[in-house]
Amino acid sequence: MISALLLAAALTTSSPNQCLLCHPDVRVLFDRSRHHAEEVTCTACHGGNAQAITVEGAHSGSFRGVPKRRDIPALCATCHSNVEKMRPYNLPTDQYALYQTSRHGQLLAKGDERVAVCIDCHGSHEILPPEDPRSSTYVRNIPATCGKCHGDAKLMAAYGLQGNPATEFAAGVHGTLLLEKGNLAAPDCTRCHGAHGATPPGVGDVDKICGQCHATTRTYFLQGPHKAAMDKAGLPECAACHDRHDNRPADVGMLDKVCLNCHGADSAQVKLSQQMKTSYSRASEEIDQAHALVQRAAAIPLYVEDYQARLEEARTALLESLPVMHSLNLASVESLTGRGRGIAREVESELNGKLQGRRWLKVGLLVFWFYLLITLALLLRFRRKAVAESSR
Amino acid sequence: MSSPLNAEPEIGMGRRSALGWLVKGFLSLWAIGAGAVGIAFLKAPEKEKRPAEGVIRCGSFSALGIGEARFIRHGAEPLYVIRVSETQVLALPAICTHLRCVLKWNQTRQTFDCPCHNGAFDKNGNVLSGPPTRPLAPYRAEIQADEVVIRT
Amino acid sequence: MSPDPDRPRSSVRGWLEERFNLTEMFSFLTSFGLFPTELDARRPLKEAIAEALSRPFPSYARWPRVLGILSMLLFLFLGVTGVMLALYYQPTAGDAYASVTTLVRDVSFGSFVHHVHGWAARLLILILLIRVWRFYFQGMYKGPREALWIVSTLLFLVAAAADFTGRLLPWDQHGYWQTIRGMEVLVALPVGGWVLTFFVGGASPDTLVLLRFYFLHVVVLPLLLLCLFYLNFSTVRRVGLSFSPGESRSGTGVFKVHLYNLVILALLVFGCLVTLATLLPSPYLAAADPFNTPAGVRPAWYLLASHAFLQSIPTLVPSWLRGLLLEAILACCVLLPFLDRSPGRAASQRRFALILGVAVLALWLVFTWMGYRMEVGR
Repeated sequence: MISALLLAAALTTSSPNQCLLCHPDVRVLFDRSRHHAEEVTCTACHGGNAQAITVEGAHSGSFRGVPKRRDIPALCATCHSNVEKMRPYNLPTDQYALYQTSRHGQLLAKGDERVAVCIDCHGSHEILPPEDPRSSTYVRNIPATCGKCHGDAKLMAAYGLQGNPATEFAAGVHGTLLLEKGNLAAPDCTRCHGAHGATPPGVGDVDKICGQCHATTRTYFLQGPHKAAMDKAGLPECAACHDRHDNRPADVGMLDKVCLNCHGADSAQVKLSQQMKTSYSRASEEIDQAHALVQRAAAIPLYVEDYQARLEEARTALLESLPVMHSLNLASVESLTGRGRGIAREVESELNGKLQGRRWLKVGLLVFWFYLLITLALLLRFRRKAVAESSR
Repeated sequence: MSSPLNAEPEIGMGRRSALGWLVKGFLSLWAIGAGAVGIAFLKAPEKEKRPAEGVIRCGSFSALGIGEARFIRHGAEPLYVIRVSETQVLALPAICTHLRCVLKWNQTRQTFDCPCHNGAFDKNGNVLSGPPTRPLAPYRAEIQADEVVIRT
Repeated sequence: MSPDPDRPRSSVRGWLEERFNLTEMFSFLTSFGLFPTELDARRPLKEAIAEALSRPFPSYARWPRVLGILSMLLFLFLGVTGVMLALYYQPTAGDAYASVTTLVRDVSFGSFVHHVHGWAARLLILILLIRVWRFYFQGMYKGPREALWIVSTLLFLVAAAADFTGRLLPWDQHGYWQTIRGMEVLVALPVGGWVLTFFVGGASPDTLVLLRFYFLHVVVLPLLLLCLFYLNFSTVRRVGLSFSPGESRSGTGVFKVHLYNLVILALLVFGCLVTLATLLPSPYLAAADPFNTPAGVRPAWYLLASHAFLQSIPTLVPSWLRGLLLEAILACCVLLPFLDRSPGRAASQRRFALILGVAVLALWLVFTWMGYRMEVGR
């Protein structure tokens, strides 16, 4: 009876994947996937006979069943490393090669099956391309995908990894930009660690990775003494001061704290950091003062657009000084903060001149009243004369 | 009604008329002052300061070399005009779309570089690299009698 | 009138005298309160003025009777400064604020003229209001001064309307939102409210409403004020100056003396306006933003009482009835002479009116204070 129904169902459907008749739960997932859209059948991964409508028929021949975890990368690679098969889709074919160089791949080769294999990130049946926002490999979903394992403290403890990078990342600037504000220019895990070739960056390579976006800062960092010193000390360069995953917005306040991590409070280095900080803060205060003066002038109103533009330039100079600080070159920092301060001082003095000039208005008022009172006296005299004339 | 003044017209006359003229001069200052204020008031302010007719003047066209950019201060929204060929100019805002730093024109690369976070834009305003996500929105620049003029 | 050929005269004036009746032309001096009686149009101008100057003028014509001519003077200052402002102002929503900014920032004496205009307006309304209260408490609405009373109340109302329309013109945050609050009162009036709202082009300000407000402020309302001033001085001339009971009527003088008084008054008013404009300029505010209501914007001060009044009536009463009540009170104020039943002007004969007057004044002050304290935008 059931086989008759199945036969009837089989005859009425035109699906090449008869497997899904018996596995409807998989069908729900598979129908959404990219493989289904490209007409990749179940047999591509599981073997067997997709046309058969009996269990024995379907599970015959090259049937593999559920592939073993350690076989999965090679299994996916049978198509995804085949250049001719992937060329119509313009997909890369180096994923397997990269995977084998990654920590995941290396550990898998040693027999550790707890590490990530293809299906852990991409899913098994419901595979969607990374451009699809529903995909587990969509850039905004990647922290959650990686976090499935890397947020599991017990699992990570076995590898000596501490902390929860997923939550740390979400709390940091990059995480906020990517996950809350949807800024796709912000990095996800794969941008710094690689995707298929995922490896933590080496201690001396951190600046290369951060420098992909923060190129200016990297240039100055490389000019300074920190690069050589940190590499020798085994410190992870940028991450040593700016944290690895929960990067906070950097400001000059950091100079009070992070330098003390390595240097003594009385050391020349800490003195230098304080000098840089003072240089920046003084310039920043001066600019704020000038800005307040501009606001006052605008309320009169005076023509302030020019001053506002110059203060924008001053602020830009100040912002530029932050990457320059990484070179630890006080002179370069001071040339920029000095420029900002100079502009602010110019603006202030010019505006003060204009505001002082307005004091003359009050003097003018006094002169006016003086003149008016004399006129009044004259008029009263004429009036008295008129009164005298009229009383005759 | 004989006024004591009429009895001695000769003696008082000269001094009276001088005083009278002085008073007239003093009082006429009111009229002169009002006239001066009126004329100063009527003088139209310079063209740049008139209410936005929607035009920004950007200097001479022929003085700008091909591939050169000129920075125009325009209040809180400065801009660049770039001469791209013998006959064409482009005008773009000079403020980075990332965090509003003032861009610098890089003559060799023909790009706008942002000194703050390394953003870069090409001369059409498209983002080349760095954190900015939005391109620069170009202005409409025209050339009128060898002057580059922008209509907002 | 044939000119005397023996009398030496300036050729220009003589030439004009033979072709126009200059004296008749200068009769505006009488119409608008400067001269107390008509110039004799049969005489040449210089003679007519000399004659008028030597006419007797009671020397008791002093304070507080100055309020009428004072308001006329303020109106003149408003007119002159208003014309100067109109040479720069552009009445469209896009350009209004920019044109006012240019005027106040880049034009020489622009900010000075602007602030003189503002202070003169405030003083004008205040003086007209004080004048109305003075008429009330001195019984100067009883016959034959009914017309004076009606014209005076209308003067105050029209001046307030001119002030109201003027506030929108700079198109700044304060003026824009004050207009919206003020229009709430207008829209609530059942009789004529919808007509006025229709005439100004709608209840919420946009560029067309601005243009209509500008037209009202610059043409219609000043002309109306001129007519009302004309009627005011005309009735004063016809009915004569009033005296409070017991006031001395003695004393003589000639009008020439009083003219000096007027010139001195004008000078002092000018001095006050210049001082106020220099020492207490109104602040320069942000441009109007229809999507951003600033905190603490109240309707104009003379509307605070009506606002508070409308809001304080319980909501059981439908809004049209509340508006009708307000209009009824206004009508009673204007038509007071026909409602007042007291037999004479003396205080003893008008006890009820005086008590009522004090009560109304107190209530008005209380409502104004309430309106000031009310939360904005309930």
